[in-house]
Amino acid sequence: MTGRYAAGLIAIALPLAAAAAPETYTVDPYHTFPYFEVIHLNTSIVRGRFQKVSGKLTLDTAAKTGTIELSVPTATLDTGDGEKGDRPRARDEHLRSPDFFNVAEFPTMTFKGKAAKFNGDAPAEIQGELTLLGVTKPLTLTMLRWHCGPDPRSQGKRYFCGGNATGSFKRSDYGMKFIVGPVSDDVNLWMSMEAFRD
Amino acid sequence: MESLLSNPAVQGGGAPFIAALIVAVALSRARLGGLAVLAAFATAVWFVAGFGVTPLTATRKIFLLGLAAPVLGALIDFAFRPTRLGAWALALAAAAAALWTFWPVLAQRGAAQALLLGGTAAVTAAWLVGFSQAKLASDGIRAGAAGLALGVGVGAAAILAASLTYGLYGIALGAGSGAFLLPQMIAGKKTQAGMTFMLPAALLAGLLAAGTMVLAEMPWYAVLALGLVPVAVRLPLPAGAPVWLQAVLSSLYGFIVAAGVCALAWHAGG
Repeated sequence: MTGRYAAGLIAIALPLAAAAAPETYTVDPYHTFPYFEVIHLNTSIVRGRFQKVSGKLTLDTAAKTGTIELSVPTATLDTGDGEKGDRPRARDEHLRSPDFFNVAEFPTMTFKGKAAKFNGDAPAEIQGELTLLGVTKPLTLTMLRWHCGPDPRSQGKRYFCGGNATGSFKRSDYGMKFIVGPVSDDVNLWMSMEAFRD
Repeated sequence: MESLLSNPAVQGGGAPFIAALIVAVALSRARLGGLAVLAAFATAVWFVAGFGVTPLTATRKIFLLGLAAPVLGALIDFAFRPTRLGAWALALAAAAAALWTFWPVLAQRGAAQALLLGGTAAVTAAWLVGFSQAKLASDGIRAGAAGLALGVGVGAAAILAASLTYGLYGIALGAGSGAFLLPQMIAGKKTQAGMTFMLPAALLAGLLAAGTMVLAEMPWYAVLALGLVPVAVRLPLPAGAPVWLQAVLSSLYGFIVAAGVCALAWHAGG
């Protein structure tokens, strides 16, 4: 009799435990991009993005916890100026040089963070650390939107989450000091991300 | 004033030249006028990136070697007589310095590319330093002309190869060498160059060229071609020519080779 009760309790507890357990997600590289923007010569805002990102998320909506780990190959940066034309070099080539991202020496940029605030079931703020050019500094991302649900492209068989986040940092904090002033020290970061539940 | 000091021409050219000229004039009687190169390079580093050692990047290793080279050069000048063995030892040390500088980056590349780039960096640094010790250090005019052409050549080629930072450091090297040459041209009298001048000038030129190759877009053969600059400044000069003319002609010989290096860097971009 006792065994039957125990089996019943386990049967009830198992789905609850499963629901409460952190779920892991793998970043969708085709819908996840970090965008950055700087002010050029105090005139226009120049925007660019990194073309490839990999990473993992964990999310536990019951416990209001979550983590994120992203890895970005810095050589994939793209500001829409990759053809040198009649100039010595294109802007993207210059951005890859030691003047800015120094991609040969630091081929990867990473962000590791934890969801610090929630708005209902959605993470509202991520506090983490950005490692760029071998320097690690705190960076807070504010979530602009977040949604989880069945992926309509898979007739609901696949579950995914995604949203947008934004933050900013000073590039000189990471040792990227080349022509600070003519090219703004402040860098705004805009993150689009989607991830599939494992 | 702030906008003037943030101008790259001031950071890499004007300010380093003035600092180097002060040092060249003030210390020439003490046979330390060659520290002009150190003054120019340190001024450019201070303006462009600031001093720091963490993380210890390849560029920061070049800073450290640039600071250590004139100290070692002065020690060599005052404590040792120049010998062929000494030139070989310095050349090997320069090759080791180049590999130490770029090894963490080369280790991320495939074996063939690491060998090509690492070999080019080591051979260029060794050749520039060894040849300079053996053939240029005793002649203040040819040494200054070599430093001028190496610096300007590396600087211009680095800009064409997508790194303005390395370009400014190279041009600062040229400015420092020009400041070392100028008092000799005005006074009509050669001064001691020695390894106090030639070691930092040759080593920094080699490392900056190699850095632009490993970290930016300089082709390896342009880096090797830079090794012809010190050979060119050894070309014959008119007998009995005044010092200023010797300086102009030697520099011209070096600039012709440097222009070739720049052309190679330009065309490498397609």
